[in-house]
Amino acid sequence: MAPSELFDVCVIGTGAGGGVMLDRLTAAGFRVVALERGPQLETSQFDDDELANVVRDRVFSPEQIETYRLDANSPTQTGRFNQLAHCVGGTMTHWAAWSWRFRQDEFRVLSSDGPVAGASLADWPISYADLEPFYERAESDFGVSGEAGANPFEPLRRKGYPNPPHPPRTSSAAFAAAARKLGHRPFPVPVAINSRPYAARPRCFYGGACRSYGCAIHAKGTTFSVSIPRALATGKLDLRANARVFEIPLGSDGRVTGARYLDAQGREQEARARQVVLAANAIGSPQLLLLSKSGAFPHGLANSSGLVGANLTFHLHAGAIFLLDGPARAYTGFEAQTAIDDLHASDPKRGFIRGGVIAELNTVNHQPLGWAFNADGYPQLGRGWGAPLKRHLRAFPRSVVVASVLEDLPVESNRVDLDPDVKDRLGLPVPRITHRQHPNDLAMHRWYTQRILEIAEASGAAERWPLGGAGLGVLDEKTAMKGNAHFHGTCRMGNDPKRSVIDANCRSHDVPNLWIVDSSVLPTSGGYNPTLTIVANAYRVADHFAKQARRLSL
Amino acid sequence: MTNSKLTRRDFLRDTTLYGGGLWISLQLPRPNAARAAAESSEPVSLTPAEWRTIEAITGRIIPTDAEPGAIEARCVNFIDKALAHEDVQARPLYALGVAGTDAAAQRRFGRPFVKLAPAEQDELLILLEEGRAPGWPEGPVSSAAFFASVRAHTIIGFLADPKYGGNHDFAGWKVVGYPGPRHHLGGYTPDQMLGRAKIKTVWGEEL
Repeated sequence: MAPSELFDVCVIGTGAGGGVMLDRLTAAGFRVVALERGPQLETSQFDDDELANVVRDRVFSPEQIETYRLDANSPTQTGRFNQLAHCVGGTMTHWAAWSWRFRQDEFRVLSSDGPVAGASLADWPISYADLEPFYERAESDFGVSGEAGANPFEPLRRKGYPNPPHPPRTSSAAFAAAARKLGHRPFPVPVAINSRPYAARPRCFYGGACRSYGCAIHAKGTTFSVSIPRALATGKLDLRANARVFEIPLGSDGRVTGARYLDAQGREQEARARQVVLAANAIGSPQLLLLSKSGAFPHGLANSSGLVGANLTFHLHAGAIFLLDGPARAYTGFEAQTAIDDLHASDPKRGFIRGGVIAELNTVNHQPLGWAFNADGYPQLGRGWGAPLKRHLRAFPRSVVVASVLEDLPVESNRVDLDPDVKDRLGLPVPRITHRQHPNDLAMHRWYTQRILEIAEASGAAERWPLGGAGLGVLDEKTAMKGNAHFHGTCRMGNDPKRSVIDANCRSHDVPNLWIVDSSVLPTSGGYNPTLTIVANAYRVADHFAKQARRLSL
Repeated sequence: MTNSKLTRRDFLRDTTLYGGGLWISLQLPRPNAARAAAESSEPVSLTPAEWRTIEAITGRIIPTDAEPGAIEARCVNFIDKALAHEDVQARPLYALGVAGTDAAAQRRFGRPFVKLAPAEQDELLILLEEGRAPGWPEGPVSSAAFFASVRAHTIIGFLADPKYGGNHDFAGWKVVGYPGPRHHLGGYTPDQMLGRAKIKTVWGEEL
């Protein structure tokens, strides 16, 4: 058998990080092979069937399971605890498209607020200024709509948004009016959703089923719609879907040689490359490194620090619901249309550090099943069935949901590792999530719940209650982990090889031709949805590749 | 409520609720319930007796009042088709659960579940939900797990797309005031988003 082609770069995962790498590396002229564990979906498969897309999650990750436990002494549950997608384009394919630039202090949490007992706070090895040009590029490529200057707290930017903001819906206007009464300054959430035809993609039709759904018309800016088609058009990309990587092999020279994977027929295959970029998300990437054991790395590839899988963060989402007298129309539009940042800045006088953004949103509660299932999360509604359930169902069209994205603190013992007992369909150990909230998280959640309830009260609504139930509520340790969409920190970026997995350029401290470019590199989680930062970081790393091509033997 | 009870309830919810479930997570890909529902509204999985008992339970979970409930929405038909396909792993849970429900009804009231008055049915279902059903058989399926599964299935049958065999005549969407999916109907206009224009539902009314 002839040896397989030696590619310049092998990219594992095609989401926000990997997808952007494919685009920029092929544009730079490199020959790239991409390995994606999920299938290539078509827009004809994208509909707004809530059962298939959200409840059963059959479209984007039908086979995914993990185990979860609070700590090493707690029982382990088996289930699906994340909403990450496995398909060409990754989780961005069904993302909500909130597109934030992290604030300057979110890159240096340790210097700003630390240290804090029990937390592994860190400064990033890069600053906002390092990332700013790449944020700008990301906003341009993905067509972010927004209003520069409308958020008085957003970090300095050189250019405005490429597209104007979207029109509001009744529920977001009601939230804005209530927030203004309290002196807050509401603004349109920047979203990578076309507000007008842009870059050969149409404008959004405001169909409502956006987060957790694929966009059938490419109005949502995604690697699926933008980066990967562009990479394929170069002829430089060999895109292999349904390729489940199970090992990144290490050569005798201490360099990785590519990836071993099972193809759609379950046959073992190998892709060979000079450089390997891992972008399999903050659960999948540590899982793969820990699976790739060798004599040089008995505890997992690139894990001399012992921190592969550690410092898992996933945000908190304190919030509240209130009912208008008339239709709220919250099921129209897309997930989040209006936000406030007035309460975002860290203030230790509150009794905790860090914070986050607050927005009106239509997920999970503004489709009928999400609304109904959350009924049992609200004890004041009575039983989750019978007449109380029906009363709750009828409140659906008048409801407004306000929630936050709060920066949870990294804790070294919160981590992803390999479950010793549970295997997936292919016989691979499933990821095991061990996570207990830091006390700061719980205090922050309580405080933000109260502030959001005050906004609900200012709206004049007689009926209002804190957000809870499956999916969004992180109320206390018992209900801490009910599934989330944001995962970060498990292959931390840093300057100290003993305290981080990769360096400032996202290259492994241990293995010179191994790179990690996904949400796992974020040392701290920030008080915003992370995707634009993952994307901007990928542009930065790809830029480094192009500049260092000769040194990288490309 | 004591802490131990809270823990137990959380655990039960974790292992039964859709999306985090014991049997859901182990399901095989058999996405044919919609086709089965299109072909038949007769039982394809449940026995006639099981169908009647499950239908009665769904009728208490989402009761009929001035507006339709789970009975009119044909939630039991949804469950029957789901158990033949996507949720086939839950089929044994339903067999054991129906038998357990009738055993408990006999023990508590001396009659099978379908012969009970609505208030008696509610009383029994509370016992099931709280894991206190008298005469519930020892074994792998707790009454609470069974109840949580039927509850989840009833809600889905009420509010999922009618193609799956429930939400008959859009009954569930009418109750919640949801116009139906808009992906292939052109979405909404800014005036509709702001409540300045009516929204036409997929069944032709205006909201």
